[in-house]
Amino acid sequence: MAHLAHYREAHPLPMVATHWVNLIAMIVLIVSGLQIHYPLIPGVMGIARGLHMFFAFVLVINCIVRIVFAFVFKSAPAGGTRRLVRDYKTWLPQKDNKHQLWAWISYYLFLRREHPIAAKLGVPQKIVYLLIAPLIFFTAYTGFCLWGPTMNWPVFTWGLELVGGPMNMRVIHYLCMWVFIIFMCIHIYLSLVEGASPATLIFFWKETPGLVYDPDTMNITGFDGMGKEPDYGETFKDPVRAAADAAAVAAREKHGKE
Amino acid sequence: MALLDTSGRRASVSSASAQPETRATSKLAQKLELNGFTRRDFLKYCGCLAGMMGLSQLAAPQVAEALEIGAEGGKLLPVIWLEGSSCTGCTEALTQGTTPDIPQLVLETIALNYSETLSAAAGHSLEEARRETIEAGSYLVVYEGAVVTAYDGNILRVADEKGTDVLLETVKNAEAVIALGSCACDGGWMAVRPDDADAMGVQKFLSEHNVDVPVVNIPCCPANPEWLTSVILEYVLTGHLPELNDKNEPAALFSQTIHDNCPRRGHFENGEFVYQFGSEEEAKGYCLYPLGCKGPQTYAPCAVTRWNRSLSWCVEAGAPCAGCATINPMNPQANWVDENTPFLERHRDFAVGPITFQPTTVAVGLTVLVVAVLGVHCAGMKLAGRMDGGADFEPERRWDEKHGGPEAHEAGARAQRLYDDLDEMGLEPKNTGLHRKRDAAARKAAAKEAPQAADSNNDTHAEGGDE
Repeated sequence: MAHLAHYREAHPLPMVATHWVNLIAMIVLIVSGLQIHYPLIPGVMGIARGLHMFFAFVLVINCIVRIVFAFVFKSAPAGGTRRLVRDYKTWLPQKDNKHQLWAWISYYLFLRREHPIAAKLGVPQKIVYLLIAPLIFFTAYTGFCLWGPTMNWPVFTWGLELVGGPMNMRVIHYLCMWVFIIFMCIHIYLSLVEGASPATLIFFWKETPGLVYDPDTMNITGFDGMGKEPDYGETFKDPVRAAADAAAVAAREKHGKE
Repeated sequence: MALLDTSGRRASVSSASAQPETRATSKLAQKLELNGFTRRDFLKYCGCLAGMMGLSQLAAPQVAEALEIGAEGGKLLPVIWLEGSSCTGCTEALTQGTTPDIPQLVLETIALNYSETLSAAAGHSLEEARRETIEAGSYLVVYEGAVVTAYDGNILRVADEKGTDVLLETVKNAEAVIALGSCACDGGWMAVRPDDADAMGVQKFLSEHNVDVPVVNIPCCPANPEWLTSVILEYVLTGHLPELNDKNEPAALFSQTIHDNCPRRGHFENGEFVYQFGSEEEAKGYCLYPLGCKGPQTYAPCAVTRWNRSLSWCVEAGAPCAGCATINPMNPQANWVDENTPFLERHRDFAVGPITFQPTTVAVGLTVLVVAVLGVHCAGMKLAGRMDGGADFEPERRWDEKHGGPEAHEAGARAQRLYDDLDEMGLEPKNTGLHRKRDAAARKAAAKEAPQAADSNNDTHAEGGDE
């Protein structure tokens, strides 16, 4: 029953957009990159290279934009709450997930039964997501070391010299792609295995009912049925909303009986 | 020797243009004629050289005159050609088998003063010629092959001297050393794993022995003689070495990749590839990229200068580039063979001890392993009833249970009560894993039996065919 309410405040619309851009750019980059590595499909090399370069810029700019968004927009510090803090704070160590690295690992290794109460992102999740930004920049750098128009720029010849030439750089760039692929496998698995709510929120900005988290006491205080199920305990709703939800539940029950 | 200082060399060029009649009878002209080359061929070649030196093709007559004056004077600039641990392939590239061509004739006439392979003299008299040239000073050294240092340099002995000693002695008074071919640049083939001969390039060897002579690296296996001629002539005509890049290669020659200038580049952009030798695509001259062509990673002007009297070169002849221009002068372990084998694969092999593998093998292997582990984990999540939000929250963080203050404990107790209530209401039922499932199954079975029992009490005739 570790089912937190999924509120839009966890992922404000600008972040939903950057997530979509990330997804599309990464998939295009991986597919076109594989084609450039070995042209399995003849005839589309020019297209693959054009797309690869275009989406490389898209991914890098999107990553920079996302970092700027972290300082511009506000988001919820934890799941199950509509409270807002500046988004970058949800990426720094939070009181809500202090001393929880082992708690998470042991949960995923089935060494403990109970799901840890955490902030919006668990400790391993936060560490891995934060590493994605440097990985994007690093992969882009290795890519520009291999791209004709930029490979002779001193900043890139320096890198080529460091790794011992373009062949090694090419292999590093290629292996970076596989790091992305492995990340995506784990990321998709973990976001779906305990239910589709996180995915429907980040992709379609659709809220789903669940437990309510109080950032002050840093624990669960109630259940928000969002008009689909009855509320229970402390939900921090304004009275109008609470009444509307209660009415919706009542209507639903009535409809159900008819 | 007067010709060797810069001003003298310039003077010779201008005096040549003042006396054009020397041209007709120059030794070089005769030699070229004897070998079937016309004046026009020669001037065309001089134009190419001028281009390689970064001069206008209009400078071709000046280049021609400088060459002829040098030939007339017997020698323009002494060049000592040393063989290290080599296959003599670079010399062979110069002599090009049966028919000598213009670069060879030019080099022979104007420069080549001592060569173990090409000199007619041998033994003591030849070694004497080398010593005299060294004594006189102001010469270039062309070094072909790797510098092999195993057994304290005794692995290669020439004229009863260690090869390494010969090199150190010969470069003593040299104005510059031209490391010719990939072996001379960074060890090349000779330094390939396991590198029993401790091979290295001239640049590394000299810097290890604190010899401060400029080194020009001209890579490739073998090096193109036209590049050598252009470097020597630039030195002869201008008095300085060509501009070098960070690997000490002539920057004008080695700043673009094979791929940049490849005649098959159009097929690459069109996505027309050769996937197999002997295929229809190969016959059409499509791009060799899927067959491991290293052109995109290899900086060399092969596609521009071409080989064998500009007749053809590897890719034009149908072979994917093997990347023989890859050099790392200070790191023989990163020689072009270890960096580029297998030649017919897109990526190099990596080695851990005696095991070699492709990056793709490791990457795909690791990914499959991760996916398999996730599959097993997924089965575990299902068995533990954690799927679809089934796992229970801890009422209080485990850390707080031991270290938390009274507020944390209070919040934990409240959450515990909430979970109990929600479970009773059926809003968020608790997950007791397998036990819950077993209990649910038992309840279901009981519920099924109960109405049946009730039914049989009420109406024993209804559907009781069995009884």
